[in-house]
Amino acid sequence: MVLCLLALPVFAILGIFSVKYRKLTKDAFECLIKTATLRKCESGLDDRIKAQLTGKILKFSPKFAKVTYNHYKLLSWLILILFAWSIYGSGVGVYNYYYYGNCNGPESTGFCIFDPTGSNSKIAEIDSVTTAVFTQPVLEDDDPIIGSADAELTIIEFGCYACPWTKKAEPIVQEVIEHYKGRVNFQFKTFKIPQHNLSYESALAAECAKEQDRYHEYHKLLFQYQEKQSRGMFLGLADRLELDKDQFKECFLTEKYKKEIDSDSLMGLHAGVPGTPTFFINEQKIVGPKPFKTFRKIIDKELK
Amino acid sequence: MIFFNPDKVRQDFPILRKPIIYFDNACMSLKPIQVINKINEYYTEYTGCAGRSSHQFANRVQDEMAKSRNEVKNLINAKHDEEIVFTRNTTEGINLVANSLGLEKGDGVIISDKEHNSNLIPWLKLKKEKGIIVKVVESNEDNTFNLENFENAFSVGKIKLVSLVHTSNLDGVTNPIKDISEITHQHNALLMLDAAQSIPHKEVNIRNPDIDFLSFSGHKMLGPTGTGVLYGKIDLLKKLDQFIVGGETVIDSTYEDFKIEKVPSRFEAGLQDYANLIALGESCKYLKRVGLKNIQNHELKLNKILTESLADKVKLIGPREPEKRSGIFSFNINGKDMHHVSKILDTSANIMTRSGAHCVHSWFNKHDMKGSVRASLYFYNTEEEAQMFVEEINKIISL
Repeated sequence: MVLCLLALPVFAILGIFSVKYRKLTKDAFECLIKTATLRKCESGLDDRIKAQLTGKILKFSPKFAKVTYNHYKLLSWLILILFAWSIYGSGVGVYNYYYYGNCNGPESTGFCIFDPTGSNSKIAEIDSVTTAVFTQPVLEDDDPIIGSADAELTIIEFGCYACPWTKKAEPIVQEVIEHYKGRVNFQFKTFKIPQHNLSYESALAAECAKEQDRYHEYHKLLFQYQEKQSRGMFLGLADRLELDKDQFKECFLTEKYKKEIDSDSLMGLHAGVPGTPTFFINEQKIVGPKPFKTFRKIIDKELK
Repeated sequence: MIFFNPDKVRQDFPILRKPIIYFDNACMSLKPIQVINKINEYYTEYTGCAGRSSHQFANRVQDEMAKSRNEVKNLINAKHDEEIVFTRNTTEGINLVANSLGLEKGDGVIISDKEHNSNLIPWLKLKKEKGIIVKVVESNEDNTFNLENFENAFSVGKIKLVSLVHTSNLDGVTNPIKDISEITHQHNALLMLDAAQSIPHKEVNIRNPDIDFLSFSGHKMLGPTGTGVLYGKIDLLKKLDQFIVGGETVIDSTYEDFKIEKVPSRFEAGLQDYANLIALGESCKYLKRVGLKNIQNHELKLNKILTESLADKVKLIGPREPEKRSGIFSFNINGKDMHHVSKILDTSANIMTRSGAHCVHSWFNKHDMKGSVRASLYFYNTEEEAQMFVEEINKIISL
């Protein structure tokens, strides 16, 4: 009976393409029903599988064939448990992919078979080892808010202006803001990625623009021209927004907001941020530019 | 004596190019290229109807069918071509006699306790429907035929027919037909043999001993599937009622009546399977060329290898002496399911055997057994194959 249970879904799928497997599916189904109703399974499918398996192993090892033949039931149960576990795992994977864009959940950046290129989960990773005990990040008055100021829920985003995956998340952030019509906003905290050239400098430039109340426009331009980032370009963008050039230059060259940027990055490290972008929706974490529905699933719960 | 070389004859069997050991010959024999070519010949050179038309294809089919009938006649040493009725298989031949002999309530038929369903069910059906008496002769303990029980069976009712298996598909035992024929005819009864397992493996001469009806299948004797033969003495055939009627079985018909055809056409209803029946003649020729005596001796040699190596390790069905079991080695292994054994043989070593009741359910039910594994040999099997079979069975025993 045990292997009939295993065989049923396999044969059912193969039966879509081949008549041969439809008969086997019927046998497996009949066997299952009879066993479940405490009657003798007469299809003999289980026996056929047992004999075939033993025969195949006997070709190579009489010893293992003997173990298989004599402990077939036990082996069948082990395979069934593994099968059930794998079905459960696959189910969870599909669920996670559907809602979180990654088979392993919203926090994972690991490989997912449904997203082989990892486009939903790529992040700019950091090399440093984070602490074992994580501290929840907090909202700070000195960090900019994207979206309505008086929203019910604020999502903290740890991002890097030099990170392509943070850039990829930008339209999703906008979609969230628009979808929740003032009920949700974001606080952007800069998180330095050492291997990204100009990660710190771009964060510094954004802080300097904020000083002149032009943060949001500068934030957008930094992502828009991400591939062309240079120290000169930061000044050029300031020019384009008609910022006070001298004030911006002084702010930038004296690294006026270094402490603030370092503090944000440190908060990220303490919060267990593995790279950018990472989002915190209260205690839930989303790592990587996951699709909109991943955000919606968590936000809807938090807003209830 | 015709020289026989199993390695040489194997070259005639295209299917033996596959890495297989085919030990299910009691169920179905493999086909030599000559038979396969003969089937193709009909479809590529003279596809037509025999008798109905007069064009060149029809004439050729007519000739080829006649040649085939003649080959079959020669194989069993019948007197006339007309004594050969083409059927689809052994079962159909037996059913033809059962339904055409005019058996009535109280008439008796003797069978043995080792009959294939094809020589049991037709009689049980008549017993139910017409009230005939079916007397079953019990075999000896070693499954050989008990002549004393057979003779005693005539004391019950008015025995019209003795219908026995010639060589059993269960254990390969060949019944003593000479004695059976004498006893049967002493009691003025007719003798019919189910020769499905004897015709392909040994010389059968229907005139000595005297046999009235003989039914066998083409597919077990190198011939195509769906072909069979009923031999009947010409006078007896003429007295038989028609069984299946329609096209080819009548000379003329009106809305009120019909005039029946001559023997054997009156029993061959509808369009015949020309291609395969013509090829059946080719299989008869092939068997004669190889030599049925050679076939019998070769099978015995192989069965000796199996018996000497395995008889003490397995539960053998039938007598221990291989001489009494022709090419059949039917057995069970203690603690192992017969279907498991057969499937493992197939999967581990490509050895094809049959497992189950082999259509002799009645015998297995009587002996409270579910069935057996049956290795059935033929002339294209080799000693190396027999040795490999022994090795594999030893492995399965030790599982």
